[in-house]
Amino acid sequence: MESQQYIRDLEIVEEKPIKEEGLVIVEGFPDVGLVGAIATSYLIDKLQLEEIGYIDAEVLPPIISVKEERIRELIRIYKGGKVVAIISDIPLPVSLVKPLGYRLMSWAKSKNPDLFLSLSGLPEPNRLNIEKSKIFVLGSTPEVTERLMQVDGVSRFKDGFITGIKGILLKEGVRMNVNAAIILAQAHYNYPDPGAAAQIVNYLSRLLNIDIDVKPLLERAEELKLRLRDLMRRTDQMMQGVQKSKELELPPVYL
Amino acid sequence: MERRRPLWKILLDEFRRIESEINRMEEEMFRMMKEAEGMRKCITPLYNLYESGDEVILTADLPGANKEEIDLRVQEDNIRIEAPCRSPLRKVEEGKYILHVKLPTKIDPETAKARYKDGVLEVLAKKKIAGFRIKVE
Repeated sequence: MESQQYIRDLEIVEEKPIKEEGLVIVEGFPDVGLVGAIATSYLIDKLQLEEIGYIDAEVLPPIISVKEERIRELIRIYKGGKVVAIISDIPLPVSLVKPLGYRLMSWAKSKNPDLFLSLSGLPEPNRLNIEKSKIFVLGSTPEVTERLMQVDGVSRFKDGFITGIKGILLKEGVRMNVNAAIILAQAHYNYPDPGAAAQIVNYLSRLLNIDIDVKPLLERAEELKLRLRDLMRRTDQMMQGVQKSKELELPPVYL
Repeated sequence: MERRRPLWKILLDEFRRIESEINRMEEEMFRMMKEAEGMRKCITPLYNLYESGDEVILTADLPGANKEEIDLRVQEDNIRIEAPCRSPLRKVEEGKYILHVKLPTKIDPETAKARYKDGVLEVLAKKKIAGFRIKVE
């Protein structure tokens, strides 16, 4: 009952309506190492996606984002060609995770997308000793996973937990029969990790056959780490709320 | 006549009150840290402190620092890091990282080792072992 109230207090607004089908929808809500957020933001910039809508909710804090004198929504939707990208300037409040997961996947289903991809980091305690983050993929169906595995050098996400909005989106993808998937790169848990984000962008450029050079992202890594320090700190607090450290564990085996 | 509130509603309200109190305290801590940074023109780095077996491990994210310029001081019960930050951000004035961490257990400073890689400083030190060795029968 209460969650239905939350769902009513949540709106996905298309200022420029999306009419095409067969889109690739990418979300990069902030979580582990801000990997998804950095990768999605880089995609938006390099593919010059246009801001076409936003997501608003009663539980979002009363904040506006201002960039170059432009007032912006906190959670924005961008589009260009067949790619739709969703990005947030703040970590999602824990109470928004479930209703947003449900609403966002219902909205995605109404667009009949080719793929719905959640980009994220996989917490890796040994990250300092890893030069190039490995990419792990998990689809809502075995067919989706097979499709994602067609790119060389990718591993399957076989066992583990996925918490927060990424897990909820994947679960809703299964329930609603949407081709959803999560793409994870090994990353620092609570330090911004542009190196891991670059690996995700590299993977997407091969999966979607789009040419994106990650060199500028790697060159700006130090600047990004410094700029995103406060977002990472706040995201860390949010991750505690969704038990993100659970991703460092394996599910129990009773037999 | 006023109806009594169900127990679940009372508990839910109490959880919400605790959640909002925690949020308020975190917000206050965050504000004080940012104000202190602004006043002292210093940056408090993100860091993690682990205890693993007989070791204590501290990592700190210091992007834009220079390995040669990191001033690392290790004592029995605390670690202090200071390093200039050569920020590539035009908006941010050049500042310095300062981190002073109180350790959860005593360490042997002479065993401390450090490395700086991809903007992250890692310090490892052995815990100080006290007491007698007892033979197990």
